[in-house]
Amino acid sequence: MKLATIGVGNAGSKLIDQMLEFEFETGRNLCRHALVINTARTDLAKPQHLDEDRRVLIGDTHQKARGHGVGGDAKIGAEVAQTDIDEIRRVFDDVEIHEVDAVLVAAGLGGGTGSGAAPVVIDELQKMYDEPVYGLGVLPGTYEGGRPALNAARSLQSFVTKVDNFIAFDNDAWRSRGQTIEQGYEEMNEELATRIVTLLAAGEVDESEVGENAMDSSDIMRTLDTGGVSSIGYASTDVTPAKEGLLANFKHDGESQSESTDAAKIKGLVRRATNSRLTVPCNVSSADRALIVFAGPPDVISRKGVESAREWLEETADTVDVLAGDDPRPNSSTLAAVVLLSNVTETPRINEIQDQAVDAQNKIQEQDAVREQEIQSLITDEDNDLDPIV
Amino acid sequence: MKLALVGVGGCGTRVVDQFVRAEHRTGRSVTNGNVLAFHTESQPFDKTQTLTSDQQVLLGDTHPAVLRRDTSPPAPHGEQTSQPPSGSETLTYTDVPSSESDQATSPTGTEDSSSNKSDPDSFGVGGDPDIGAQVAKADRPEIRRALDRIDETDVTATMLVAGLGGGTGSGVGSLLLDELSSIYETAVYALGVLPAGNEAPIRALTAARGLQTFVPRTDSMFLVDNEAWRQDNSAIADSYSSINKMTVERLLSVFGTGERAGTPLSEMRIDPADITRTLNLGGVSTIGHSTMTLDTQSVGLLRRVLSLLRRSSSSVSTPVDATQIKTLISQAVQSKMTLPCEITSADRVLLILTGPPDTISRKGFETGRYLLEEKTETVEVLAGDEPVQKSTELTATVVLSNVTSVPRIDNLQQRAVAAQSDPDADTSVASSAHSQQSYTLSVTDQNSTQSHRDTQRTEFDFGEATTDLDTTDSPDNET
Repeated sequence: MKLATIGVGNAGSKLIDQMLEFEFETGRNLCRHALVINTARTDLAKPQHLDEDRRVLIGDTHQKARGHGVGGDAKIGAEVAQTDIDEIRRVFDDVEIHEVDAVLVAAGLGGGTGSGAAPVVIDELQKMYDEPVYGLGVLPGTYEGGRPALNAARSLQSFVTKVDNFIAFDNDAWRSRGQTIEQGYEEMNEELATRIVTLLAAGEVDESEVGENAMDSSDIMRTLDTGGVSSIGYASTDVTPAKEGLLANFKHDGESQSESTDAAKIKGLVRRATNSRLTVPCNVSSADRALIVFAGPPDVISRKGVESAREWLEETADTVDVLAGDDPRPNSSTLAAVVLLSNVTETPRINEIQDQAVDAQNKIQEQDAVREQEIQSLITDEDNDLDPIV
Repeated sequence: MKLALVGVGGCGTRVVDQFVRAEHRTGRSVTNGNVLAFHTESQPFDKTQTLTSDQQVLLGDTHPAVLRRDTSPPAPHGEQTSQPPSGSETLTYTDVPSSESDQATSPTGTEDSSSNKSDPDSFGVGGDPDIGAQVAKADRPEIRRALDRIDETDVTATMLVAGLGGGTGSGVGSLLLDELSSIYETAVYALGVLPAGNEAPIRALTAARGLQTFVPRTDSMFLVDNEAWRQDNSAIADSYSSINKMTVERLLSVFGTGERAGTPLSEMRIDPADITRTLNLGGVSTIGHSTMTLDTQSVGLLRRVLSLLRRSSSSVSTPVDATQIKTLISQAVQSKMTLPCEITSADRVLLILTGPPDTISRKGFETGRYLLEEKTETVEVLAGDEPVQKSTELTATVVLSNVTSVPRIDNLQQRAVAAQSDPDADTSVASSAHSQQSYTLSVTDQNSTQSHRDTQRTEFDFGEATTDLDTTDSPDNET
């Protein structure tokens, strides 16, 4: 697939940056256009793989933002994007949309800029283009607290109704002991970038001579066509490239034997991908459609294995809509299986976030209601005997 | 974030001066020269080290009630001049670490501080906030001209600093706040110092009225409570210097975050908008603070050499345990805040973790933040880290915005009401305490200046030895 990618806010920008890095390292060419949008000038300097003119500062003239971020307030994030929509549109003008199959908007949903500004950006994209717009959203962890949960729960609603598919990533699922803040976020971004790029980069070369087993962009788009929330699983294994031609030839001769072990390996890989950490934990059987991409040297992808893996997933995901295909990477030393579960409807984390958000919203409303009165009673004495100076 | 600081009165002037000094010492750049000090008498200006003459604004030249130091007869409003003994204003005399510079800039300084005339409330507006307000009204053009020197486009907010017990601080300060909020589009904060319980009742009255005037005029008002911070069993004057240091250190931890040259970009950076959003509720705010020293001893010499060779980002390479970070954050909110209060009454909370980037455990940070949410019973907790390379300390700073359950303020108001309803008793108390206190002051002055000089340099250590003064670290000063 060929994508135009837009990162909104700090988390979104870092993600796009990480995707570009992974692409570069693995010789893929997925992101034909990349753009980051932020409200904080300092954060805009962080991405390393983007040119200066691909970084857009919004809200620098907004009274409450002034180029210093929006302080985690999604309302201001949306306001700022709304105000500077012309600025954003102007940058889109450079995107030659006929060159890409779809647009991907990445954002962290806990902060103010991502959760607030991204839906505004998506609205605009949907107005301007016929191509599908996908969302990639990072959900805040439980420990990030009430305000981020509220931002995320509200933003999720906007995202899911506006995008053609929303790929979710749960921060909590990727939290581990012993990480520093720096490492923690870097590792998460790497994991997510690996998954998303391996999945979507399949079929990027349309006139591939590899033939009928190759995954097509249209297959991926068809799977994502369901709308709703999607989750991605991933597993990979090292494949030692054949060192000697003789051995390879020998292997080729004894095809029937190695084929069966390869097939078992392939099926095992897909099981692992589905049962391992999904980007957002979910009940696999609640998926509407599913798709498997095998990325690696074509000669290790056993047809038999692909078919039995597909059948296994069909059963597990309880859907007949399961596509499987290859993304041939002849020079790769790993074989990766990416499983896309499209429109999963049973995701416990999203329910938790919503509960946390409802509590947070109630608390915030309670505080708002009594604020003025409490301040007044704090600064005046009980019988109101004292007078202000002026 | 960039902040303009406007000090008013003796206390305000000193805090602003110390703040600028601390910026230099810690390599943080917050005010960028956007600093002003207003007073109705000139002596506190002479004691400052960083303020240029341009930044010192003397008010009340034409007002009949303003008493200048060089005018010998007492002012016509005799009652006021005798009323208030020294309070937080006495900071002047214990606060100045360099007596050399005093003598250089103010030949009369030493002489004054040992005489009865050292009572700061005898000069200027004589401790009367209503006269202070009159003076400020009369000098409005002068005030506006001075405020022009602040480049608003250069700063995110402006903060007024004042001792609320003083006539100039509360009186002139009230008018200044009016001016600031009418000129500036950006946020206006105030930092107010509340008088201690053993200061004159009239100062409690002034402070309670000042509080009532200041709070509605600011986006947020930080308070420091002298009563909570004065050291037991010692003359109040001794405490002021350390209170000022504590105040400046905490202010700088909040507003100086990310303003250090060469700071690496952090993942969870505190943006100026995070600070302004936390504060923009109105009401009263308070700051808690806790520091732990990182165990550098465990890092052997070899490892240190190795890390030097690898040009490692930090000298401390052992990540701090998540539990320790959680404890540190919990200490910051349970420790003595600048204004002690019921922490559950906080409306919004800001947490800043300052330390070497490779020691801040993500898990510790996140559980610590969550703990804050539970302890303060609010869901509006913004948190971030400030990586400081080569630092040997980890600091947690917590801002509680709009705290509404504050016993100290209730107490202040009770004292104020008592002082207002019985002014005679107040005067007699005040005048009897007057001479005695001034005496204590002048006696302790010599010693305390000396001793504070030592602690001052060491206590205020942000971990980066930028000057020679910072290197003498003594364990006593660690919190």
